[in-house]
Amino acid sequence: MTRLPGLKRILRIERDRAGVERAVDDELQFHFDMTMRELMSSGLPAEEARAEATRRFGDVQRTRERLATIDRSRLGRERRNEWWNAFAQDLRYAIRGLRLKPSFAIAVILTLGLGIGANATMFGIVDRLLFRPPTFLTAPDRAARLYFLRTFRGKEDVQSYTGYRRYLDLKEMTTSFDAMTPFYSNDVAVGSGETTKEMKVGFGAADLWKMFAVRPVIGRFFTASEDVPPNGARVVVLSYAFWQTQFGGRKDALGSLIDIGPAKYTIIGVAPEGFNAFATDPLVAFIPTSAASATMGSPRNPWYSTYNMTWFETFARRKPGVTAAAASADLSAAFQRSYKKELEANPRQTPFNIAKPRAFVGPVLRDRGPKEGSDAKVATWLVGVAAIVLLIACANVANLLLARALRRRREIAVRIALGVSRGRLLMQLATESLLLAFLGGLAGLAITQWGGTIMRKALLDQTDAGPSAFTDPRVLGFAALLAVAAGLLTGLVPAFQTAREDVSSALKAGAREGHVHRSRLRTSLLIGQAALSVVLLVGAGLFIRSLVNVQNVRMGYDAERLLWVQPHMRGTKTDSIQSMQMLNGMRERAQAIPGVEHAARALTVPFWSTWEYSLYVAGIDSMSKLGDFTLQAASPEFFSTMGTRVLRGRAFTAADGEHAPRVMVIGQSMAKKIWPSEDALGKCIRINADTMPCTTVIGIAEDVRRGSLAETEMHYYLPISQFQPQGGGLFVRTSGEPANQADRLRRELQKLMPGVSYVTVTPMSTIIAPEIRSWKIGAIMFAVFGALALVLAAVGLYSVIAYNVTQRTHEMGVRVALGAQARDVVRLVVREGLRVVIPGVALGAIIALLAGRWVAPLLFQVSPTDPPVLVSVVLTLIAVAIAASWIPATRAARVDPNEALRAD
Amino acid sequence: MAAVDLDLLQGTLDLLILKTLNWGPRHGYAVASWIRETTDQRLQIEEGALYTALHRMEKRGWLESEWGLSENNRRAKYYQLTSAGRKQLRAKTAVWTDYAAAVFKVLQTS
Repeated sequence: MTRLPGLKRILRIERDRAGVERAVDDELQFHFDMTMRELMSSGLPAEEARAEATRRFGDVQRTRERLATIDRSRLGRERRNEWWNAFAQDLRYAIRGLRLKPSFAIAVILTLGLGIGANATMFGIVDRLLFRPPTFLTAPDRAARLYFLRTFRGKEDVQSYTGYRRYLDLKEMTTSFDAMTPFYSNDVAVGSGETTKEMKVGFGAADLWKMFAVRPVIGRFFTASEDVPPNGARVVVLSYAFWQTQFGGRKDALGSLIDIGPAKYTIIGVAPEGFNAFATDPLVAFIPTSAASATMGSPRNPWYSTYNMTWFETFARRKPGVTAAAASADLSAAFQRSYKKELEANPRQTPFNIAKPRAFVGPVLRDRGPKEGSDAKVATWLVGVAAIVLLIACANVANLLLARALRRRREIAVRIALGVSRGRLLMQLATESLLLAFLGGLAGLAITQWGGTIMRKALLDQTDAGPSAFTDPRVLGFAALLAVAAGLLTGLVPAFQTAREDVSSALKAGAREGHVHRSRLRTSLLIGQAALSVVLLVGAGLFIRSLVNVQNVRMGYDAERLLWVQPHMRGTKTDSIQSMQMLNGMRERAQAIPGVEHAARALTVPFWSTWEYSLYVAGIDSMSKLGDFTLQAASPEFFSTMGTRVLRGRAFTAADGEHAPRVMVIGQSMAKKIWPSEDALGKCIRINADTMPCTTVIGIAEDVRRGSLAETEMHYYLPISQFQPQGGGLFVRTSGEPANQADRLRRELQKLMPGVSYVTVTPMSTIIAPEIRSWKIGAIMFAVFGALALVLAAVGLYSVIAYNVTQRTHEMGVRVALGAQARDVVRLVVREGLRVVIPGVALGAIIALLAGRWVAPLLFQVSPTDPPVLVSVVLTLIAVAIAASWIPATRAARVDPNEALRAD
Repeated sequence: MAAVDLDLLQGTLDLLILKTLNWGPRHGYAVASWIRETTDQRLQIEEGALYTALHRMEKRGWLESEWGLSENNRRAKYYQLTSAGRKQLRAKTAVWTDYAAAVFKVLQTS
């Protein structure tokens, strides 16, 4: 039998379920009729003939069902085969088509690749911040980060950080959890001698291992009996990566000693690859909280029995069947009991009915909870931005495909006329765009791989390469989803356009006609592109201005060429006098190094540490009602080293020594707060208790930003010789490049360190960098995406105008023949470009203005409706529109009327 | 001679149908009558099983079917061999012949 694909379908009637059964019945009916006829013709009466026919056949009903079942399964298979054959054919056809037009294919694949890559990159980052639970976490839906609320000065404050005593209370007083552990990570010096390096180490309780489905690669994890205050066992579990790089993955690493921070730890095990507990930065080792905390606190106020040291977050897992609400209620009740215990120990604490303490179980991921970082907020915004870029890319591809479809009108009309069904044609066009989308998706993954590394390295300060985009199933799935969506979105527009095509007019018309009604769709795509570009560029402008403002904001000190030197004591026990002498010695040595302008001792570092004391001023009931006052203890050189200006009065001098009258310098806003209508100079503040002697205000300094870039703090300064704190370090101002100076400084000062103690030197700019990061990410990413959008929109506009000009060659020829000047033709074409872009720009400006209030909290001293940004974006877009239509316009102006009129 | 129950001989029905269709397209009734007549009614074939075999072989791709007009001008479903079916017929014939020869040889030695 000859197989005519189209014909077969007409003869086949049993395509559906009912059809199959009807066909079986027809066949069997025919069989019975024939049998009956034969039997009756041999003389049997009808009754007997029927009986004989039935006997010969057997069980009719069962056979009937069996035949229908066989046929249905056969038809299903045939249909699948047919579909696959058609698909393979379409695929071959599409590949051939693309190979004939490589420039078109490359343009589409690159455009989609950029769109998909931008989205997959952002997805990879946001996924890690917001969606992906920590690796190996068991029952992520029951795991929680604990949050504590207290009301201060009428405002409820959320905290996730807490202390060991609180943790012990909560563990004892709650019944809803089957695991609870403190967890925090810190930069700690690991190793000894020259190889000592600061690395991130995690600290937790034995329950940490219970919350994750992990087994040690070798050795064992630490147990509850090794994590008991006051001194936990000095044992450490290494991360897999650290074990591999430092010990070459050798099993005999077990049992050996390693220097971590101030002590030596015995290696007892290695965690599996990829285990990072609750941390986002890669950790090198895991240590029992109680072992690491042993040196904290003071003998009078040990770390495990005080409530007012908070340094870790608490994680817990609800028992199966306990709802989050029930666990929160349980936790709240426990926190309230614990708070009452705290009040007994410390009656000066805010009273219970004012603090109104309560607690709840929050999401494990920090950025999902109430203390989300600004990075996560910016990243979430960038997801939206990336989506817009993808939309613009899709619009562009749809436009390219439309133009291609228009060029192929005749070919398609011929195929329809030849009887190819429109559904089949749609399938074929869809196959082509899905193929393009698939290739675009691959390009996108390559861009994600590359872009993701850059993002992590340059913007998120993470040096690990991260998982490959090609092997991360979540990123891979997301990219595939985007590719399919983009393929359908871009493919369906021209496909439906084609399906609507009137065959006869397409066959009759030349290439020239018929673009008028269709260009409306392309025009609206262009308007949308222009609008989205405006939105992105406005975002870029706002973030760039924020970044400039952040970098120019007066911090109250000059962060350039400023270094922080921190000594880390190890092994040797030093008392406060020795430590003071050592720091003074270090300061003098630093000061003597060429290239060092100033060196000063200081207690705290902006953004890293704060120190507070209760203050007492005559005539004011409660200073704490006025706000938080933070202090800095510093040597006399501090103000010149930091560049902090003393506005009135004087700074400290060497004369303000230990036995001299107590003096202090206070910040401007602190002075204004305490004495709104009086001169603060010469006033008396008592520190720590109202029975203490007066500390006299001798100077007023400018305000500083040290907790947040957005606001200044109420801050005061005490001479370090009068205050005599434990710890602290040096600020050093250099005259040259700080990076070179930092190393030199470190080597010089290291010579003064006793035993295995060591110093670290950190540029102030590094300390501030994380504060600026969210604006930096915003500015860079909005600028990159905005530029991308602008380029895409310009290319889209160019291709449409160029296409239209080609279509209108004839008309241009007539115009030129009738005496139109080149200038007139150029103006005509450029005006057409502007007619598309101006509504788009207007629309985009409106969207940008409306979206402004959502983005406002992320900006820094810039209004979301900042006129200079808006105006310059609008002008940029119009300039780009003119430039994009200029090339086709000049081409149109060069049309030779003779040729144009003769052609086609 | 007693009638043989074809159920005993697995796959024989398939072979008979293939052989029958080797002469050209036939509908199910024609296949049934042809087998009955050729074997002098010595093979008892339940016609339901015959139709099941036809449909099963069509599913396997050995046969193709098409609706056509019968001798007395009625719509009937005609079956014919595909090239896969022809290959099956050759293979099965060879197997069956060998099998029959072997069995016969055993029966001869007594």
